[in-house]
Order: sequence, then C-alpha cells, then structure tokens
Amino acid sequence: MSKLATAEYASEAQAGFTHRTAMEEAARCLLCHDAPCSAGCPAGTDPGRFIRSIRFRNPKGAAETIRENNILGGSCARICPCDKLCEEACSRSGIDRPIEIGKLQRYAMEQENIFHLKTRRPPQEKKALRVACVGAGPASLACAAALAEAGYGVTIFEAEAKAGGMLTYGVPPMRLPQEVIDRDIDAVRGLGVEFVFNTRVGRDIGLGDLKAKGFAAVFIGAGLWRSKLPDTEGAELDGVLTAVDFLKNARSTGGRTELEGKSVVVIGGGDVAMDCAATAKLTGAQSVAIYYRRTLEEAPANADELRYVFSLGVPIVTNFAPARFVGDGGKLKSAEFKGRDGKSFASVTADVVVFAAGQAPEDMTRLAGDLRLTQEGLIDADGSGHTNLPFVFAAGDAVNGGKTAVEAVAEGKAVAVEMIARLENAPKDGANRDGKEVR
Amino acid sequence: MMAVRKDLSIEYLGVKCENPFFLSSSPVGGNYDMVAKCFEAGWGGVFFKTIGIFVADECSPRFDNNGKEGLPWIGFKNMEQISDKPTEQNFEYLARLKRDYPDKVVVSSIMGSDEDEWKKLAKLSEQAGVDLIEGNFSCPQMTSHAMGSDVGSSPELVKQYSEAVTSVTDIPFIAKMTPNITNMNLPARAAALGGAKGISAINTIKSITNIDFEHMTAMPVVDGKSSISGYSGAAVRPIALRFCALLAQDALLRDAEFSGIGGVETWRDALEFLLVGCRNIQVTTAVMQYGYRIVEDMISGLSHFMEERGYDDLDALIGQALPNIIPAEELNRDFRIIPNIDRDKCVGCGRCYISCCDGAHQAIDWEEDARRPAINDKCVGCHLCLNVCPVAGCITPGEIRFKEGRRHTDILLKRYYD
Repeated sequence: MSKLATAEYASEAQAGFTHRTAMEEAARCLLCHDAPCSAGCPAGTDPGRFIRSIRFRNPKGAAETIRENNILGGSCARICPCDKLCEEACSRSGIDRPIEIGKLQRYAMEQENIFHLKTRRPPQEKKALRVACVGAGPASLACAAALAEAGYGVTIFEAEAKAGGMLTYGVPPMRLPQEVIDRDIDAVRGLGVEFVFNTRVGRDIGLGDLKAKGFAAVFIGAGLWRSKLPDTEGAELDGVLTAVDFLKNARSTGGRTELEGKSVVVIGGGDVAMDCAATAKLTGAQSVAIYYRRTLEEAPANADELRYVFSLGVPIVTNFAPARFVGDGGKLKSAEFKGRDGKSFASVTADVVVFAAGQAPEDMTRLAGDLRLTQEGLIDADGSGHTNLPFVFAAGDAVNGGKTAVEAVAEGKAVAVEMIARLENAPKDGANRDGKEVR
Repeated sequence: MMAVRKDLSIEYLGVKCENPFFLSSSPVGGNYDMVAKCFEAGWGGVFFKTIGIFVADECSPRFDNNGKEGLPWIGFKNMEQISDKPTEQNFEYLARLKRDYPDKVVVSSIMGSDEDEWKKLAKLSEQAGVDLIEGNFSCPQMTSHAMGSDVGSSPELVKQYSEAVTSVTDIPFIAKMTPNITNMNLPARAAALGGAKGISAINTIKSITNIDFEHMTAMPVVDGKSSISGYSGAAVRPIALRFCALLAQDALLRDAEFSGIGGVETWRDALEFLLVGCRNIQVTTAVMQYGYRIVEDMISGLSHFMEERGYDDLDALIGQALPNIIPAEELNRDFRIIPNIDRDKCVGCGRCYISCCDGAHQAIDWEEDARRPAINDKCVGCHLCLNVCPVAGCITPGEIRFKEGRRHTDILLKRYYD
C-alpha cells in the first residue's frame, strides 16, 4: 500500500463520523464544568454545550446550538483551525488527546441537513430600517443574519456571482464542499436576507448611493482579495500566480487548472499555501513543492492541513525565501531561493509559482474617498466596527488583516449587536465613532 | 434557548407538571439550594430526599461504581440512607421551596418505622404544603429492619402504612416499590388497597458492585468492611422497565398512576418509561454523575422527537408500547429472519463468526481468503451476529423464511438500528 493518499480535487479530505463513532468520541468528552473549549471559540459556537447534546443522544439539539451561535457552523466545522482554538483548550489533553471537536460539529451539522432542521427563523416583527452589507463572506453573512433576526431588512451586495467569499472562492472543495457552504448561506437567506450578485460596491454602486437608496447603515465585510506579491525579480513572468487568483480560478472552473504535467512551486507556510499545494496536486500537477522562508514550527498552517499535504506527497522546504524568478521569452522557467542561513541556495525548475504569502486588501478608497484606512490599506475600524463615517461599520479580514472564518463570524456578530444598538437609538443624522453621537 | 420546544406538561395525580422530569428522592435533592438549582435548570419537580423521624448516621465512603471496557458508571452503588438532617429542617426546606417555586412540583418522600411515625410525617408534609407525598418502602440500605425494603417486600406492611398516611391527609400518596422482590405487583396492589394513588418503581437493587482484593471485602471499603446496598444507573434500566411495564399492565392497578425510575440519563431513556405507561420520570444517578444540566437535553430531545413524530401532547405517548409487550407464548414463532451481511460495509473483524460459532448455531462460515463472513443454512435467525457487529448498518434483518407448514403472513420488521 502506498504511503501517499490518492484523492480527487472535489472529494473530501476526511470522512465524517457516523452515529456510533460520534457517540464514542462524545463519550470521551469530560463534559467540563466551565468548558474551556467553549471559551476557546471566537464565535461562541459553544462546543461544550453541543458535545453534551450529542453525548445525551440529542444530535438535533446539538445542531441547534451550533446554528444559533454560528450561522456558518457547517463551514466552520470543516475549516476551523480547531487545534489552535477549541481543541487546544480541551481538558482531555491532560489525559491523552483532545476531543475531535470540529469533526463532532460536522456530524451535528450533517444531522441538521438530514432532518431538514430550520433553527433560525425570521422574526415575526419587521423593522422599517434597511441595512446594506458589502461582500458576502463570513463577516457579512454573520452580521446580516444577526441584523435580519433583529428585524432589519438586509441586502448583501457581492462582487462575484456566488455568496461565500473566501469560503466559495478561496478554500478548496476537498476541505470545504460547496454544498456545505450553500447550506450555511441558505440559513442566512432563510432569515430574509437578500443578495445582489455581480455588483461591486465602489465600482457598480457607490457607498453614497446606498445611503441614497435608503439604507440606514452599511456594514463592510469586503475581505482581502489581493495577494501580496513581493517585488521579487521576475514576479511579472507568465506562470507566477497569486494564491487568491489561483484558488479562485480552480474553484470556479471545477478544478480545471491546466497543470497536467507541470511543476508547481508554492511559496508560503499558511493554510492558504497548503490549499494551493493540495489544489495543484489534485488537479494534475506532476510535481508540487512548498517553499517557506521560516521553520515548520513557525508555519501558521494548522496541523491537519500540514498532514494533509504531506499525505499527498507534497514536500515542504523550510528556511528558503524566494530570491528571483527566471524566465525564457516571458515564461517562467525556474525559481531561485536563498537560505535563511545566508549561504544556502536553491534553484528549482518550475512552470508555475503560486505566491501564498499573505493577502492584502484591494483599493478600499474606491468604496468611499473619505473612508479612513490604515497604513496597510486596511479599513480603520475600532473593536465595535465603527469607521470614521457615520453609520458605516466594518469587520472581518478587511479590518483585521486576514484571520480565520470563525473570527470573521465573531466580528460580524459583535458588530451587528453594536449596529442594532446604534440603530435603535438612531439620531436622525447619524453617529460617528469619535463623538458619542452627532446630532 | 433551543429552537424546537414542545409543551411537555402533563398531569401527575391531578398535579400539573411543566414536564415529567423529576429528581428522585436521593442525595441530589437534599436541601433547599440543591432543589432551587435543579428547578432553575429546568426540572419539573423534585421528590425530596426521604425524611424520617429517624435521622441517618452515614458511613464513609459510601459510593462505588462499576464499568465495562473503559466506560465507568454503567452501574452505581449507594450506601446512603434517608436524610441526615433534622426532620423539622427538612420540612422547612419543603415549605420554602413550595413558596418560592409555586409552579414546580414538590413531593415529600417520607419513611416511618411505625404507624404513628408515618402519620406524623404525612401531617408534617401537608403542613409544609407539598403537592404529593411518596412513601419510601424500598431503601435497601437502612440500618433498621423496620424501615426500607424489608417493609416494601411485605404487602401487609405496605398496605398498613399506606392506610396510615391516607387516613390523615388528602394529598395524593405514592408508594415507592423495591425491586428486591419477585413479584412487585403484590405490594403495589397492597399499596393501592391502602389508598395509594401512585406507584413509583424502582428503588435500587441490592448489590455487590466489586470485590476489593486489597482487603477481601466489597466496595466501597469502610474500615476494611463493606455491606450489600442499592445498585442504580444505566445497568438497571432494563429491569426497571420490566417492573414498570408489568405494573402498568396489571388490571388490578388500572386506577394507579406510575412514576418510572431506573437508569434514566437521556430523553430516550425517559421516553421508554413513558411508553411503558409512566406519567412521571425520576432521575438520580445520572445527575450524580453529570449534574442537573442533563435535563436540558431531555427537554430538547423529547421536544424534537414529538416534533418529528407529530405529537403535540405528551399524554398521547403514555403507554404506547404496552399493547405490544406480550407474553412469550403469544409471540409469532412461524418464521425466522435471516440476517443480511453487507460485504462492502464489513471490515472483516470476524466477531460475528466467533459469536455465532461459540454462542449460537455455527451458521456463519469464515471465508479465509476474502476475510468475510458468509451465512450458511444452519442460521436460525437469532441475530446474535447483528448484536455483536461493530459496524453500523453492516448486518441487518434480511430474508424472511417461514418454517415448514406454517402460515405465511405479513411480518413487521425492524429496519433502523442505531
């Protein structure tokens, strides 16, 4: 038997639990008094509570807990870096190994689907005020869900043809199948949230237009859609790609990356780099290697992701940073790396290089000329989501510089609470972040 | 709050209960604060820890549990007797609980050692304002033979003391039965003749959970010695269900209402007791292991079940299984159901083969090369293989074969196994 796993691009990397195996895993749970796993979830998904429901033969109740606390509970179950969040906090680690919380969450969400549970419902009473959300990624979806539940009319404006943001256009399907994302989005839609696709705020419609259209407040969850491309010599060559473009293309073409027979080098050490490498490997590349400028210990990718790319036979070369890309007739031929020790050197033939060394925001000034940005070009918003513009709020990657989906959910939820508070006490002409209220 | 919530209210002996989930009389409901906390957690009522004139003097340690293959607490042994608090203080707790939680159901559990004590405790219960009174005829670890299961296994004494209570109060009286008896229906009928309106079953089963090899005694070890005492928890549920079903099927008890006790941990366990005719459910051992919070999933899980099956009223579920639990001689024995083994799901452990060879009818052949079981002509349809198979959905009921010369009828098959 081969040491290496064989898989297809669209087939899931990991099988889920059955009733029996879920119960076995839930029986390992210590059912802690003050469940540290629950404290460890940014979005408050409350694993301590939903695992207890599974343990006490109530998987539907488990699904309810998850969905109530985290509208993207299905997607988060698949892609959360649990080993750094809930599972890291797990008391069971003091005995042997943590509970597989993400996998139990996936099991509960599968039960939700099997039994067609509708946990969150639109409110009986609707409010007259309408709110616009920019972008249909995790932060906006979580914010929109909370606002819709509070009775506001919510419209999400999305530049792409589908909702989900990075979930749909970034994470590869072997980690996060589209139907899982779609079910999460259906939960948002079920609350009465409307989606306007193929409409980029800042291009097709201005932030000011939204106000003119009667939206009382705007939430910006625009994400980070530009890969950082270092000014490495040869970065302009045909064959040098950014992670965002590469993954988006793979996802939207159903895996037709035209990499057959090609040598691919991925640069980076995070989950996105792992996703790129797995995508390249599973869509037919002949050889794939990851180069990372630091050590494996320093790599931000989560352990499951690392193990997964290893299982596909993808090596990770550490302590090598890109030095130069060499081409012939404008086409990439090889990539050169210099060692962290200042002496080592590597030259690798490559048809394609994918840069996965962090994402950056697109030009946010397009949203509104007077929207205050940070030096990095991120939206300058405080912990409650207030920007410098009255009734314009922001959260998620475009504010925090790129974190996890579950953190974007947490931020979207939290900002929604703030927005509701402000809208409830809304003075007619708005509030800003500095002055308490502008009257 | 969880999304699906059904009305789980039900009347027990004329008392409206917000749900049928009660604490049973035990260490889990022994003072005001404990009961207040359980009410806040969602329990519908409490059978307060048994109050006597006798005040218990307890040993240490007093609990033990036994497990199987790494899973502890399959069964639990308890040597604690009735309340170790002064009688007056207990009734003060009850009065205050009823005052502070008027919508919750407060039941006093009492135990006297003679007729006068029973009457006195009944009057004190009435003065405290309790909704119901339960007579503890069943604690198996009392230090006096005038109390507990020695009384409960004597129908004469059960009747006499039930009469004592019902002669002094109109509050409905419930007699709590001991399972340490062959035929529980006899003391239950005696209680009913004595005026009891309800029957609780079962109290704990006399047991030795483990033998300690260090001191050559039972567990728990009390100064090198131990005693036989009551066993509870998941392991006793099947025994409790049997007693409850037999009580509920007894025509002589047709006017009685039943409260089921024994190993309830989940909504499914509770539902089982409802389906064999209980209108009320009592829990202790699972609370001792996991805390009051387990009621949350009982409420949620039962609500989901009712939603899924289209029930809006708990009453509609009570006793649903009783008509289908029949004497062995009335079962249809005309057929056998040959199991179907899904060779794709099979992981090749061979446990069905071993069990069939050594524990059944040598009806499974082992295909050595393929490492797969194959059912042969000797199969009697006992389904030991289905019970031992570790893979969900691998071995399922298959072909129905009628015995020679028997009538072919439509046979109802169970299709879904967990």
